[in-house]
Order: sequence, then structure tokens, then C-alpha cells
Amino acid sequence: MERKNFLRTFALVAATGPMIIDGCKKDSATKSTTSTTGTTTSTTTSASSGCVVTPTETEGPYPYVGGEATNPLNRVDVTDGQTGVPLSITFLVVNTNDNCNVVSDARVDIWHCNKDGYYSGYANQPGLLGSKSYVGETWLRGYELSDSNGAAKFTTIYPGWYGGRATHIHIEVYVNSVMKKTSQVTFLETISDVVHVSTLYAAHGVNPVRNASDSVFGDSATDLANEIMTLVGSVSAGYAGTYTIGLAL
Amino acid sequence: MYKAKIKLVYKQVIDASSETSFEKAIIHASYQEFLLKSQAYNAEGKFKTFSRMKANDGRANSLHYKLSFSVLHFIEQLDNKIPVIKDNLGNKLSFDTAAFELIESHIEDSSLHKVAINYQTETLTLIDFMGDYLLLTSADAKSNEPSETFVVKMQPGLSIMNYQEINQFAINNLQLETP
Repeated sequence: MERKNFLRTFALVAATGPMIIDGCKKDSATKSTTSTTGTTTSTTTSASSGCVVTPTETEGPYPYVGGEATNPLNRVDVTDGQTGVPLSITFLVVNTNDNCNVVSDARVDIWHCNKDGYYSGYANQPGLLGSKSYVGETWLRGYELSDSNGAAKFTTIYPGWYGGRATHIHIEVYVNSVMKKTSQVTFLETISDVVHVSTLYAAHGVNPVRNASDSVFGDSATDLANEIMTLVGSVSAGYAGTYTIGLAL
Repeated sequence: MYKAKIKLVYKQVIDASSETSFEKAIIHASYQEFLLKSQAYNAEGKFKTFSRMKANDGRANSLHYKLSFSVLHFIEQLDNKIPVIKDNLGNKLSFDTAAFELIESHIEDSSLHKVAINYQTETLTLIDFMGDYLLLTSADAKSNEPSETFVVKMQPGLSIMNYQEINQFAINNLQLETP
């Protein structure tokens, strides 16, 4: 609501702007060129009364909802109001063709279901709570650029599960805007099972689909071993997860 | 008197010729996202257009949904008011949900990027037709109170997406039951 009020206020100011400018317009106004830090030159008009008409500049990119310069989905905390056992993830992006050196500025996208097994953005999802539509919502989705240490960090909640799939988080990785990896990561079931019987997840209980029998993870034991996020922590304290994303660049 | 419960849908088509800052933002953000996300269905870059990607791999239809996340924040700023269509008094119509649609795109030519936003209203009560005009109210048909009405002209891009006829006998019964 605060943003909307701000926008309404801004709209009012914008609407009254031209009247103020007209009121200050004087025949004796002089026009002077001021230096700018950019490549463009702005003009400032001085009036005899001493007041100055604010220089006009381009509006710039269409502002995002909170006035951010970048897409709001470019965020560390993707929780967005969803409840669950806290999970802090650090993805480490490395190049397997370069002595496993870290890769910075890789875009890491993640998305996963909430504690009840639903995704944001989808309509008519069957599940624990019946058919649910979360079109227009973006919780548990986001992306980060890996830092100079190759790390992309997210704050989220431990995923729940939905029928037919092992517990998982989706990842996509882009380097220089080129898709380099689409994958999914999972967890040790000894931990998932504990989380899934904890208070917030208990209505759904333990995921009956085991990693080894999952349609995605179950096709290769070797792959599965390389798709498990390492976790430390507890239900009460939350978990910290680390996973190394190896790219053959 | 009451004819039906309906939902209206208005399709705002946005392409390179669109001029408002809202439309430009939608085009820019969704095209950048298209360049990224379409790679999942076009790993070798063989296909230039969204149509070709869909023909080759039906999963490319996921791009409607995947690209929507890049524009939701702009749509949120509309404050649930459809930006184009208005009623006969010039008031913007309210929408309940807005669905993003990728109509066409080209990985090497942003001018061919074309999308739509389908704004769907909440359930409205259609009171009557008057030629091209719909007499509508947001109020529930079974209410005994005088209801505020508004008039909307049918026009290109506007359609009725949901229609449920109201049985007058049932309404009378409901009104009789009202204490």
C-alpha cells in the first residue's frame, strides 16, 4: 500500500508540474548549459526571480515495483512469505574444464515448490490442499549472479513435495546469457524425512517417492550421488545447504 | 432481469509498435527472458522463431508461463486496472487475473517479438444487452439492494470468457429465502 500511495502522490506532483513551470516562465529567463557526468548535456533555465526550473531528464527504465533498477526476481531471499524450515543455500559455480576454477557472473535460477507441494505461477495444480492456482505469484523463485568467489546464495525454505516426484529444487545456469545447465538437486532422505514430519510439513508427511525410484533422479545412481545438496543444521535451527554446480565451459 | 453471470476478458496485444512505457517494459523484459529461457527448447539455436520451437518440441509452450515471471512486476503496478479498455464513463475496468501469452518471437530479431496480456475480470452480473453495449454490475444477482451498474461496449479484443445463465425462478426463490 505504501508504494501505491507513493505512486499516487507522484502522479499528483507530476500532474501539477507543468503549471509550476508555466508560472515560473519569464521573458528574461536565460538558458545556460551545465556540465554533466554523462555524455549528454542537460540544460538549466534560470529565471530573474532566482528560482530554477529543474532540468528535464529521461525517465529511464520503467521502474520495478519497489523502484528497483533490476528485476525483483534477482534476489537472495526468495521466501516471499512462504512458511517452512529455513534453508540457506550456497551454490558454487565452477568450470570443470579449467581446473575447477570458480565462475563469476553466472546467472543461477532456482525454483521449487512450497511446503505443501505447490509452485507459484501455475494454475489448477492438484495436491494436498486440493486444486490450487497461484498465477501472478513468484514465491520460491529467483536468480542470482555468482560473485567473485563463484558463489550464488539464496535464502528459502526446505521444499515440500508433490505426488510422483522426489523432493527437489530446479536450477538453471547461464553464462554470458547462454544456457549452460538445466538440472535438479535433491537432499539426503534421512534429512527430508525429518523435515517432512515436522510441524509445518506434518499434514503431508514423508514423501513416498524415494530418490532412487524417482523418474528424474532414479535413472542413474552416479548422477544421483552428484545431485544431492549437502546440508547441515536442524529443523529448529534451519539448514544450510551447499552444492557445487560444475560446468564444462 | 438478470441474464447471466459472466467474466470478461480483454486481450492487450503488445509488439514493437507499442508505445506506452508499460508496453515497452513488457516487450523488453519478456524478450530478454525469451532469449534466455527459449534455449531449453533450442539448444543448438536451429530454430529462430517461437513457432518453430513449438512445432519441434511441444514443451516450448512452457515459455508462456516461464516468461510471465519477467513481467509480473509490471502488471502488479497496474493496480488491477486494465490499462486500455474503459467503460462508457471512461473508468478503467478492474481485472482479477492477468495471463501472459507469448504470441511470436525471433531469437535474432526483437522487432518480431509479440506478446499479449489477457486480463480477466472477476465474475460480473450481466443485466442486459443493448445493441453492442453490456449493462453490468459487480453486485451479486440475488441482492435486493439497488446495485451500481456500468456499461461496456463490445469491441475488438474484448470477449466473454465465461457465461452462466441465471435462472430467474432460482433468484426469486433466493430472494424469498432472504430473512
